[in-house]
Formats: sequence, structure tokens, C-alpha cells
Amino acid sequence: MTRTIHLSLDINGRRHELDVEPRVTLLDALREHLALTGTKKGCDQGQCGACTCHVDGKRVLSCLTLAAQVEGREITTIEGITGENGDLHPVQAAFIEHDAFQCGYCTPGQIMSAVACIREGHAGSDEEIREYMSGNLCRCGAYNSIVAAVREAAQATVKEKMEVA
Amino acid sequence: MTIMPPRKHGDASDGVVGGRQTRFEGSLKVTGAATYALEYPVENVAHAVLVQSTIPAGRVLNVNAETARAAPGVLLVLTPEDDLGFTVASDWGGNRPENQPYYPLPRHVQFNGQPIVAIVAENREQAFEAAKLVSITYEEAPHVASLDDPNAGEGKLMGNLVFNWGDAEAALAAAPVQIEGTYSTPREYHVAMEPHGLTVKWDGDQITVWEPSQWSHGMARTYSEWFDIPYENVRLISPFIGGGFGSKGAALAHGAVAAFAARKLGRPVKLALTRPQNFTNYGGRAATRQTIRLGATEDGILQAIVHRGASETSTYADWPEQTGAATPILYKVENFSSEHRVVPVNTVTPGALRGPGKNPSSFGIESAMEELAYKLGMDPLELRLKNYADHDYQSGKPWSTRRLREALTEGAEAFGWSRRSHAPRSMRDGRTLIGWGIGCGTFPVLQAPSEALIRVLANGRVEVVSGAIDMGQGTYTVLAQTAAEVFGIPVDQVEVHLGDSRLPGSAIAGGSMLAGSILGAVHKAATAARDELIGLALNDENSPLRDTGANTLTFSEGRIAVPRGEGPSLSLPELMAALGRDEIETRRNTLPDGASAQEHHQAWTTMAKVQGPTMGEYSMHSWCAHFAEVRVDEDFGTVRVSRIVSAFDCGRLYNPRMVESQWRGGIIMGIGQALLEEGLVDMRNGRTVNNNMGDYLVPTNADVPDIQVISVGVPDYGASALGGKGVGEVGIVGVAPAIANAVFHATGKRVRDLPITLEKLI
Repeated sequence: MTRTIHLSLDINGRRHELDVEPRVTLLDALREHLALTGTKKGCDQGQCGACTCHVDGKRVLSCLTLAAQVEGREITTIEGITGENGDLHPVQAAFIEHDAFQCGYCTPGQIMSAVACIREGHAGSDEEIREYMSGNLCRCGAYNSIVAAVREAAQATVKEKMEVA
Repeated sequence: MTIMPPRKHGDASDGVVGGRQTRFEGSLKVTGAATYALEYPVENVAHAVLVQSTIPAGRVLNVNAETARAAPGVLLVLTPEDDLGFTVASDWGGNRPENQPYYPLPRHVQFNGQPIVAIVAENREQAFEAAKLVSITYEEAPHVASLDDPNAGEGKLMGNLVFNWGDAEAALAAAPVQIEGTYSTPREYHVAMEPHGLTVKWDGDQITVWEPSQWSHGMARTYSEWFDIPYENVRLISPFIGGGFGSKGAALAHGAVAAFAARKLGRPVKLALTRPQNFTNYGGRAATRQTIRLGATEDGILQAIVHRGASETSTYADWPEQTGAATPILYKVENFSSEHRVVPVNTVTPGALRGPGKNPSSFGIESAMEELAYKLGMDPLELRLKNYADHDYQSGKPWSTRRLREALTEGAEAFGWSRRSHAPRSMRDGRTLIGWGIGCGTFPVLQAPSEALIRVLANGRVEVVSGAIDMGQGTYTVLAQTAAEVFGIPVDQVEVHLGDSRLPGSAIAGGSMLAGSILGAVHKAATAARDELIGLALNDENSPLRDTGANTLTFSEGRIAVPRGEGPSLSLPELMAALGRDEIETRRNTLPDGASAQEHHQAWTTMAKVQGPTMGEYSMHSWCAHFAEVRVDEDFGTVRVSRIVSAFDCGRLYNPRMVESQWRGGIIMGIGQALLEEGLVDMRNGRTVNNNMGDYLVPTNADVPDIQVISVGVPDYGASALGGKGVGEVGIVGVAPAIANAVFHATGKRVRDLPITLEKLI
């Protein structure tokens, strides 16, 4: 019998308890143990970005993160960014509007990256968006539309902040 | 949470065929709710991993798996010693050799990376750990690593890929202007974002397979043949697939292994290929090499094309990557000769990758045409228009539709081609050299039968049911649009169920043949259901429309009424209620009337009924012209694609939003092919060196400029029931030569072997 450890993970505002081997990655914990399959496994070696999640608001590659490393941290996955009333996040809505995906497999990672990219202030120009979204591969080739979607969502966020101020 | 202001989602006209409806399944994909093959909750699943050969050729002498068997959590170890009891399944055409054994874990090693041993354990981590404990002893045999291996030889001539008309050698010899070039393309890989893998579950002699599939029925047929069980006992489920690009059309060795293990263990088994295994367990595009000789008059009229090509294949199957596929049909040529050979090397058998054949073929002919243009001192656009093919010189048949001239002229206009300065190295921006190039592309119209079921429910919702696949092309969306148009209802009143071998049979999502095929079937079934409703509404004694005296009814804006709007009108639920019907169901296919059950089965599970582009009275193809601008750093030789304009003739577009996305996707894959993608083989042992996404480079967001796509097509009702031609494959065809030609224009250096990396320019 392999040794397991007990983990309490705070994911999308909810506490999850699980017993896993210490070598289980955050990605496998989400997909294989917690039925949170929105986060995708594209390469399992930190090259494609499909597994991008947020830990304490910052983007991480969950395939290169052990589940045991993120105890006590705030984890957000694609399942956690939709509004409580089911409203899509502005980035999600912009992805649909601009057709920023085809097969959809890289999409959760793209969206998590985009949300962080805007929050980081790296969505100021198309060139900047391209650069800061380049850790997320899309083999269907939706890049033009991804840039358009991130640009629009970023502009809407800025506009709203100005209105609030 | 930021709340967005209300956004425009288009108007009602988006919801009919030809409208720009947003992606039907979009909200599932952006929320992570779309379920891909390995994401189905299956109780008590065990995990399998594969151990692969580390030699390219030879024989397994011994597998020492004792430590692995004793490792924590290990349930089963399968080696070449185990008789899995499989026989070879049918090929694509449905031909099956008799009683030929099939060894998915073979003793005879044919390539480096071949699966030899499978380990099944309670969890994936344990299975991987145990896999490291397996040691395999081999007897090595001589190998051929790649097409470039000195021992590769000339290969064998493919008799069905020899084409001659006129007298090409004589016409070439007599031509005042001649050029010759040898063009090569490396091994290229699909790199779909979703790796291959499957979960298999047996219930008695019934098997359920959750596996990404471009062809649910064809793959289900393979599983049934492997296990010698009735086709009906197999259910393959694949409603979402994370990209295929040609790689997910067939069941593969790892599928056979997982299915065997699940039956042996009496519990479900999940097998997920690692990303590196996705470079060896199935084939990408074969490496190719072709020599082209062109002869022309001094004013640029083509006199002859002589083409000799070769592609690598495996040592156990002939897969030709047809370097002569586009060569005969792009230009008017009276004297033509083409041959293609396959060269066996120790690799997994190559496969179809976006634009198979046409893609490397266009790299050859479209590079050669520009070489001819420079030799003549002629604008490459002018040369292409001058040699425009008025009909198909290969088949002798007229084109159904061919708007390649419009693609060239309208693309040139949008690109600003007239501002080009002809001489190489004559356009620059400081230390950056600028170059412009053209590449034309084509892909044949393939026609296949399909079947669909339409169900009108009492609540007025309409269900479209088909085994067809949506891997991102937009099948869900265009089928919803088709049904919405026929019933005059909004798209959100339609439900679409796809991706299950138990549903009505469909053409493969490949060869750009699905949309034309399945839309025809859905349109036919939906029209039949509407006709049945009309018949009931005009004749049923409880129908408010019975005594209107009308002989037909209109379906528009959600209401069913008599033409010209007089008299009562009902919504679909109101009509169903009046008729006292819970549902109306129609099932239709596009096979000839009276087709037998055997023909039905054959139609969905094999390629036997697929019609090629010249099987009727016309020659039918999609066409495109790409215009590329590159910026080359003169000091470092780095190439950046800064602008692309592409004009397409794909007939009628069922949903321009989806089509434009597919075109751009093909173009971007073409940018990768031109500048980045190259499978590297270790000549010592036939190993794929760059078997991961960090070393096999595909385009990133920062590699891709804004791409302008233009449709110049007109409906082609010979090509499909609703007027469309293929969309998905053609986008990549011609991109690499457009970029290579632009690089020549920028630098004066002609790169004839892809990819165009900086060391080739310095």
C-alpha cells in the first residue's frame, strides 16, 4: 500500500478534503480526485498552458504544482470564475462572441490566463496581449480571436473601473 | 465579479444556414463543462500505462517484469508473452484479411517507441512507477532511421500514383525556359491539445469506449472486429474532442491494449498517452521529397511539368503522402508526368495530417512556379493568372466551380500586391528585409453518405441526432442552424446530440467531407419531419389549420401558418398539442433508395462509399490563394510573418464565423510548418528526439499576425446538397510556399527544405 497524505484544499471558495499520494499534482488532484475536469491536461510537463489555474490570484501551471504545495492557498479553476447566478465572466463571454476557440480543449487555460493577464495589467495593446498569452498554446489556431476577446474584456474592465471611480 | 454590459449576440438571421451564429456549444467550452473522453466519471477505474521499445528494429528476447508485478498497486502486466487473441481489423476501405493475428504489444519491433509492455495499477502514479521497473532485452536488427538515411534507398513506386499525359519530357526539352528544384518537408505532427487516451468498460460482452474520435462508427467497427463481437455490442462515445487534425480517425494499439486489460481485469481501465507518446504511438505527416522540373515559353506559358516525389512510410504498411496531389490541377498544362514512391523506414506508419498530400505537393509546385517567375522576370501573380487552368487537365472534366482567379485577384487587391517591387531584397524597413509571396492551395470535394434523425417534441423543441463529430469545426452549430431554418424557429429551440456510435451513422470528420455530407442528411430528415407535420396539420380532425383550404403551410418566426398569413397561426408546441402528439420522429439518409442493411453498415463504418472529386461529370475542389508578408532580420536571419491575406473559394459558407476560424487555424498551422515544425530523428536509433511541445515547436500567439480571410466562393450544388465545398483542410494548403516565396523575395535566398530556420538564411 502506498502512503497517502491528507490535504484540505480551498478551491473556488469551497473546502475540499482528500487523501492522495504526496506525488499527486494539483492537476491530477482536480481531475482525478475532485471531478473538477474543466482544467485540462495537454502535456503534463509545463509546456502548453492548458492546465492554467490561479493560486492566490496568480496563474500557475497545475501540472507542475504538487497538490500538497497549495494547502492553505486560494485556488481558482475555470469552474470558479462564473458568477453565482450563472452569468459568464466577461472574458468567457468575449471568448464566445469572438469565436476564440474551436475544439475548446485549451480554452479553460486560455481564459484563466486571460483573466490574470488583464489583472496583471498586461493587456494594454495587441502586442502585449500576444506576448503575455503566449504560454497558452492553441493548435486550432484561434489566436487572432483570443487577442480580440482579451482586448475587449480588458477594455470593458477598464471602463467599469472608471465608472466606479 | 465584473458584470458586463449587455452584448450583441447577433440577430435572428444568424440562426439560419449561412448565418454567423456563435458557437452552439460555446458556453460549455468556456465554463469547463464540456466533457472530453478521459473526464467521464467511471467507478472503480484502473489506470494503464505503456512501456515502449528503445530500439528501432529487432526482436524482444525477454521482458523482466517481476519487480513491476510486485510493485504497490499493480494489477496486471501485459507483455509480448501474453496472447491477446486479436485478429487484424478492416482497413479504411473495409477490406479485412482473413485470420491474420494482430499484436498491439508485439515481439517484433518495427520502430523506436513501439508499445511493448502495458502496466495496469490502482492509480496512474503507481502504474508509472512500476513501468520504470520493467527491463526488456532485445536482439537488435539493422534499421533505417528516416528518409535521409543513406540506407533508405529509392523505395517502391506506387502504381496508382503515376500520371502522364502529353509528352512531358519532350515538351520540357523543347521549352526555352526551364527550372528544376528539389523540395522537401520534414516529419510533422498533429499536436492536438487533447492527447490521445481512452476509458473502457465492459458489461458482459458489451463494451463502452470513451475515446476522442473523428469517426465514432468507424472506430466502433474496429473494436468489434478486434474482439470478434457484434458491432452493436460496441458503444464509442465522443461528443467533444480536443482537436484531431487527422490523428483521431482510427482505433490504435493503445486502445486495443486498454480494452483487453479491462476485460481481463473485469473492471474499467483508463489509458492516457503521455505527450511524448503522442509523437510515437501514431503517425504524423510523413517526411517528403520531390523534384519538379518546369518548362515554359519566354512569355511564361507552361509547356511541361515533370514531378518525381517520395515520402517515407513504415516497414509494415504503405502510407503515401502524395507529393503529386496538387501538381496536376493548379495550372493549365498539356504535358505532364508525375510519379510518387514510398520509402519504408523504421517509424510508426505515418497518417493524415491537415491537407494530406495537397499540402507538401503545393509546397513543391508553388515554390517552383515562383522560381519560374523570377527566372522569367515576371510578376508571380501574372504568371499564375497566365497559366490559369480552364478545366481539369488531369481528368479532362470541367470544374464544377473554380474561383481561383477571383481568389488571386481579390486577394492581391486586399493585400496591396500592386505596390510590390519585384527584385529580391528591394523592400526594407531599416535593417529589416521585407518580402511578399503567393501560394495557392486546393483540396478535393469528397462526398460520403450520412444519416440523421430529427425529433420534434411536444414542447416544441427540435432534436437533431447524429453520430457525427464536432472537433471544433462547428458541427453542433451548423446542424442547429439547419434545423432552425427548416422549422422557422430560433436556434436555442434546437438540441443537437452528436458523437456516439449508437446514433445514426455519419461520414468521418476528416477530408473536409463531414459538413457537406451531414447537412444534407439533417436537411433531408428535417424537411421530412416538417412535411409530416404539414400533412397532419392539414388533415388531422383536431387541427385548427385543417379547414383553411391551404395545401401547404409556412414555418417562420416560430409560427406555423397558411401562406400569405391569413387564418390561424400556431407555435410548434401548440400544433403538437392540437395534434395530440408527444413527438414526431424522422430518420433519413443520403444513400440511394433501397440500400440494404449491409450497405448501410458499410456506409458509416468504412470509406467504401466515399466519392472522389472526379467521379461525376465535374471536377470538384476547394481553392485558395495566400498572400504573405515576412520581415527578416538581416543580421540574425530571424523570420517573422507580419501579414497574411488569404482568399478562399469553398463554395457556400454554412456559418462564416466558424469557417473563418477554421481558415485562420489552417493558415496558422501553415505558419508553423513554414518556420517551426520539424520532427527530428536520432539517426543512431530512430528515436523521435523532440517528442514534446517544448521542443517540437508549434506557433504561439506571439508568432501570429492578424490574418485577413476573404470568401470569393459561390454556391456549388454539385459539390453538396446545400452548396458548400470543403473548408477545414484547404486552409493550410499553400501557406508554406507563400511564406517561402516571401522569404526569397526578402532575402534572395530560396529555401527548398522546410522549415525555414535562421541557419538556412545566414
